[in-house]
Parts: sequence; structure tokens; C-alpha cells
Amino acid sequence: MPADPLHILIAALVCWLNFVTIDILFKLPEQGGVSGAEEIGRHIEKGGGALHGGYMMGNIVSSPDASAGTLLASCGVYATGIPGGLLAALLVYIGNRICHDPGYAGTTGCITATFIVYGFTLIGFSAADFIVGMVIAILTIQGISHMHASRLLSTLWRWREG
Amino acid sequence: MNGTEIALAVCGIIALYAAFRVMLEKDTMKKLPFLNVISFAISGSIVLLVPHPLAIVAAAAYFVGSTLESNAIASTFAGGPRNE
Amino acid sequence: MNEILMLMFGAMVILGTLATVISRDLFDKLISLGIIVAGIMPFLADRGLLDVLTATALIAPLSTLFILMAVRRKAD
Repeated sequence: MPADPLHILIAALVCWLNFVTIDILFKLPEQGGVSGAEEIGRHIEKGGGALHGGYMMGNIVSSPDASAGTLLASCGVYATGIPGGLLAALLVYIGNRICHDPGYAGTTGCITATFIVYGFTLIGFSAADFIVGMVIAILTIQGISHMHASRLLSTLWRWREG
Repeated sequence: MNGTEIALAVCGIIALYAAFRVMLEKDTMKKLPFLNVISFAISGSIVLLVPHPLAIVAAAAYFVGSTLESNAIASTFAGGPRNE
Repeated sequence: MNEILMLMFGAMVILGTLATVISRDLFDKLISLGIIVAGIMPFLADRGLLDVLTATALIAPLSTLFILMAVRRKAD
């Protein structure tokens, strides 16, 4: 049976871990990449959140990073398999260049997500599970409570800094 | 109801929820993360509706376009007019 | 696409229109226009108009950019 709720939940967890790990490895919470991202981070801090988590959320809004890479890689695998995922990586790279971003986080996230999603399709998951999973994962970061999400991301960032 | 229909329904519910949150949020800058959730859900449902290679290009174009729009709105709001 | 999905995405377009009309601030109006564009996209995809979809997805943000340029000039 494809796409039962348990598969969707597992896929959401895998997508969340993939994009948060890669974003934090590429130092997205360190500073706002553009002035708009800094402004979003400051507004989230004013509303009771934490500053570095707010910067990371601003960076996710204002340029395609690893979360966009994960979504488009699952879309590519759903449509055409591995070549679709690599085409999506190329498109994410172009999108990053348009938004004045170096584009390493987005492209790396897209390529790792392509292989992760393809591996899961071999053991009975559908790529559609991963598309919905990524939408749910981004909902937990950006759409439920900005205050709690930014505090969680700040805690993870402090942990990575050592 | 098969797997793709469940997936589409979840995407639609999340998009509608985020649209409500955009309407109810007072702070202009804090509306932008909810708009980002909408563009994730819509890009996903484009590919779920049409599993075709061209759909990946269309979804990527929509996603990058909406990101560019948020970026421009945020940086103009951040004081573009006053700093130049 | 079944009827429930059509209702949901149609409701998004209507919500976006209402938000655009009601909101006072110019930036709020531009963000609400983004909701309208988002609501249109699944209908274009469902009818198979992927080329129209790509063109719309590129034209809408560019027009927003031009509106923002006009805002910036007016503020100067």
C-alpha cells in the first residue's frame, strides 16, 4: 500500500533531519545572507524568538537552500528517477545564483536528498511520500510557531558551534 | 483514495492553513515565512498533479520566482529607500 | 483533481483577493497578491498547461519587482 500515514511521517522525519543538518553544517544561522533575511531575523527576535534561528528562517525565505533542494529532488525522483533529481540540483543552483547566493547548501542538499529518496523508493516507499514529508517538515519550521522554531534552531546552532 | 490523492489533499490543506495564517498575522515581515510554506505546498502539488519532466522545470521556476519576490519585498522593507 | 481540491485552491484565490482589498499597507498588499498567484498554479497544472505555468511563474515576481522599484523612487 503506497503512502499510508506511517510512511509519510517517516519521510517527514528523514527530510527534516536532512535539511536541518545540511543548513547548519553550511552555517546558515550565523548571519543573514542578504539585508532582507537580517530584517526577518530581527522581527522574529522582537516577537520573542532567538536571533540566530531567526536568521536561518530568513535565509530559508530569501534564497533556495537545502530545504528547497530536498523538495525539488523528491519531485525529480517522483517524475523521472535519478536524472530528475540531478536536473533539480542544476535548477536549484541556477536559482541560487539569481538570488545572489553562493548556492553550496542548496545544491549539496539536493544531491544528497536525491540519493536518500531513491534509496527509500527501493524499500517500498513512494517518492510522493517524500514530497508531502518535506511540505510537513517546512510547516513545522516556518508555519506553526516562529518563537519555538527559532529557539530550537538556535539551540542546535550553539551545539554545532561547540 | 490512493496514495497520490492523499498526498495532494495534505498539500492542499497545508496551503490553505498557511493562507489563513498570512491573513491573520499582523507583522509584515513575519508573513513571509508563511508565504514560503505556501510556495512549498504549491510546488509539491504541481509535480504531484503532472508527473512529467517539464513539471520539474515548472515547479522550480515557480519556487525560484516566489523566493525572488519574497527576497525583494524583504530587502525593500529593510530600508532600501532610506539607505540609498 | 477532485472537487474538494478545486474548492480548496479556489478558496485560496478568494482569500488572497479579500486580503489584498482589505489590507492597508503596500507590502501586505503585495504579499497577498502572491497568494492569488499561488492559488492559480494548480489549476494550470491540472489542465496540462505547463508552459503557461512557467511563464506566469516568471512574470508575476518580475512585475512585483517593478512595483517595488516604483515604491523606492516615490519614497526618495
